[in-house]
Amino acid sequence: MLSDDHVNEIIIQVENVSSGVQSHPSSNQIFQEKVLLDSSINMVSSISDIDVIDSQTVSKRNDQKGNQVLRFSTSLNESMSQTLHSLECMGIDTPGSSHETVQGQKLIASLIPMTSRDRIKAIRNQPRTMEEKRNLRKIVDKEKSKQTHRILQLNCCIQCLNSISRAYRRSKNSLSEILNSISLWQKTLKIIGGKFGTSVLSYFNFLRWLLKFNIFSFILNFSFIIIPQFTVAEKNTLQFTGLEFFTGVMAKYFRNNFINPHIYSGGITKLIFCWDFTVTQEKAVKLKQKNLSTEIRENLSELRQENSKLTFNQQLTRFSAYMVAWVVSTGVAIACCAAVYYLAEYNLEFLKTHSNPGAVLLLPFVVSCINLAVPCIYSTFRLVERYEMPRHEVYVLLIRNIFLKISIIGILCYYWLNTVALSGEECWETLIGQDIYRLLLMDFVFSLVNSFLGEFLRRIIGMQLITSLGLQEFDIARNVLELIYAQTLVWIGIFFCPLLPFIQMIMLFIMFYSKNISLMMNFQPPSKAWRASQMMTFFIFLLFFPSFTGVLCTLAITIWRLKPSADCGPFRGLPLFIHSIYSWIDTLSTRPGYLWVVWIYRNLIGSVHFFFILTLIVLIITYLYWQITEGRKIMIRLLHEQIINEGKDKMFLIEKLIKLQDMEKKANPSSLVLERREVEQQGSLHLGEHDGSLDLRFRRSVQEGNPRA
Amino acid sequence: MGNKQTVFTHEQLEAYQDCTFFTRKEIMRVFYRYQDLAPQLVPLDYTTCPDVKVPYELIGSMPELKDNPFRQRIAQVFSEDGDGHMTLDNFLDMFSVMSEMAPRDLKAYYAFKIYDFNNDDYICAWDLEQTVTKLTRGELSAEEVSLVCEKVLDEADGDHDGRLSLEDFQNMILRAPDFLSTFHIRI
Repeated sequence: MLSDDHVNEIIIQVENVSSGVQSHPSSNQIFQEKVLLDSSINMVSSISDIDVIDSQTVSKRNDQKGNQVLRFSTSLNESMSQTLHSLECMGIDTPGSSHETVQGQKLIASLIPMTSRDRIKAIRNQPRTMEEKRNLRKIVDKEKSKQTHRILQLNCCIQCLNSISRAYRRSKNSLSEILNSISLWQKTLKIIGGKFGTSVLSYFNFLRWLLKFNIFSFILNFSFIIIPQFTVAEKNTLQFTGLEFFTGVMAKYFRNNFINPHIYSGGITKLIFCWDFTVTQEKAVKLKQKNLSTEIRENLSELRQENSKLTFNQQLTRFSAYMVAWVVSTGVAIACCAAVYYLAEYNLEFLKTHSNPGAVLLLPFVVSCINLAVPCIYSTFRLVERYEMPRHEVYVLLIRNIFLKISIIGILCYYWLNTVALSGEECWETLIGQDIYRLLLMDFVFSLVNSFLGEFLRRIIGMQLITSLGLQEFDIARNVLELIYAQTLVWIGIFFCPLLPFIQMIMLFIMFYSKNISLMMNFQPPSKAWRASQMMTFFIFLLFFPSFTGVLCTLAITIWRLKPSADCGPFRGLPLFIHSIYSWIDTLSTRPGYLWVVWIYRNLIGSVHFFFILTLIVLIITYLYWQITEGRKIMIRLLHEQIINEGKDKMFLIEKLIKLQDMEKKANPSSLVLERREVEQQGSLHLGEHDGSLDLRFRRSVQEGNPRA
Repeated sequence: MGNKQTVFTHEQLEAYQDCTFFTRKEIMRVFYRYQDLAPQLVPLDYTTCPDVKVPYELIGSMPELKDNPFRQRIAQVFSEDGDGHMTLDNFLDMFSVMSEMAPRDLKAYYAFKIYDFNNDDYICAWDLEQTVTKLTRGELSAEEVSLVCEKVLDEADGDHDGRLSLEDFQNMILRAPDFLSTFHIRI
């Protein structure tokens, strides 16, 4: 009995610290706390191993001993009932028992001072059964209400705050419920996930996210641009707010998904433990199991064969193959850009003389053909280039495709801003808007035709004609790039044609269904594990960095350098687009009520110093975070080494104890005094003052073991 | 829909909302799924907290679980007595942890328990063998299976004691960002 308490005490010592950080379960903090409890951990682990050795007694115990899980107390039912019992002393009448445990009390004590939102979050994150969580919540609520009863002075304020926070929480809950009920395509996504798994699902999630964003953008545009245009024909400059809101949303999304690369890759472990639970269809599960076996075999065979060092000749040929492939791909991209440029110029002149309505579609048609054909050419390079890791192949292909698409958009922007804008045409903005609209439309048509015709044909070929090919797999990278390309065009076009988000909305909506139908009919589930999270981070980064930033640059050039057309648009007659803002500020400065806006504009937005200071602050914060990350990496490495060392200590102790047990078994069981002396002599391990309890524990196990021997 | 449900009292529903990651509507939806599994067994009135357990055979036949290689372990881990028969509380708990709102640490904890076949708080080599066999459905030979287990222990065992503790497992999960999206069952 005594030793049980000792064990509990020691465990509690460890848990004392860890329960304090339960609300912030970041592993780093837990690790830091663990460093402080060096010897106690040692003690606990050695005691737990005495337990393990003493198998007869261990088999009776289930995981209620709680020696291993230091962060979450595993003695679930026991601790909860004990907590209920132990709360007599806190003044709550519950059926009493003399056996106390500090664990539950500590947990409750840590929960009480939290705000209600944090408390609910902490309770939800507890790995306990529903009943325990409910009891916990009830106890904490009772305690909290008792405490607030006692504090009489601040009673009024606290009650006010409580009711406000409760009302706020309720309204937030109902809002999230409403938003969730509008959630689009839940069932369809579940079916897709059930058959194809998380990776393909990530593409459709991305599509849905883009759709939601376009809806938001459209609403913004509509309320700030279209409505004023209809009601009062006044120039307004609030269209930038949409793009600026977006920056914040993007940064947060990106931050949430960013992963820290670690020391080793853990390839096969991830395959084993990251089984895709979303796959629910029987055939899909069987296929996935087969694919997993294949991947595991490949992984094992990679390990078996040593990395054969390539001869110099082989390395040279491989390097030259890479070089040639890169030169050719870049050359093809540049050639396409040049072709697009000259075609565009020629088209302009051609349209001036002839007015064939179909001729305007020539440029979009060519661009879409390039976007379709050239990636296929790039994938054939795979036959020439050999990469060691298939991941590199995917990345290289992606980079080439991105380069192609970005350069095409870039050349078109150059053409529009340099040629069309300066050509002196009437309403050149409308021309650009129409061009973008046609490009988008043609892209959409091509995508539909590809879904319904191209993939269908590929399925016929794969199933009927050349059966060795089999069904095709959904090319996530290529499809996501197409979405990003279309979105970039939309962003460029918003300035010239504000209804573009609406059109993109409709197109995305239709594209979801067409891709979904084609997916179900013509594709098979992916055979290789696709790192969905990392790829998604990469794509979001792509959406942000070349795409969005490029759009901002284009728009910046448009606004600051180009002269609006004289007769069309809300900016007609101005020397530059930016003058609309200047004149707005001038108008405002005459009205006394809006001088603060003018002040903000002149001193914050207009001044260099402000941006300099802002940049400096951002850089300092980034540097701080970077240093913290570096420090934590070092900490993790040191703690890892410490864990290894403690493991070695544990093994040493176990061996020692086994030896002792063997010696004891040989000797007379009644000569316990002798053993005690022996144990004390050998107690020069780093047990310190816990010697006595180890002693008693060991003796107890010996006593228990003996009657059964 | 509205607030006119008669299955739970207001307090019960609030307690469920606070203890799981579900909203009110989702809790009702999960309840009706539970009720559909055994319409004769599960009453439509839970205000009196009836003690009803749906047997494992019915739970394991749910479309979300019936083809999952680990369905038995999942039911055992979340059930009250470890035998796979689940009360409504267990059922809600299970889908709450497997939903997309649950944090990674909570999911890692339960995933660890699922993969720990002999319930000894460690994933030992035998547990790994069971896991791999369930995952590959007899496609791999015994030698390959043991090789895989060896390799996994090599990669993930931090303190080199021949088995994975919860910390080792959580450490490994930190390096697998896909875990959060794959350890997810949508209901």
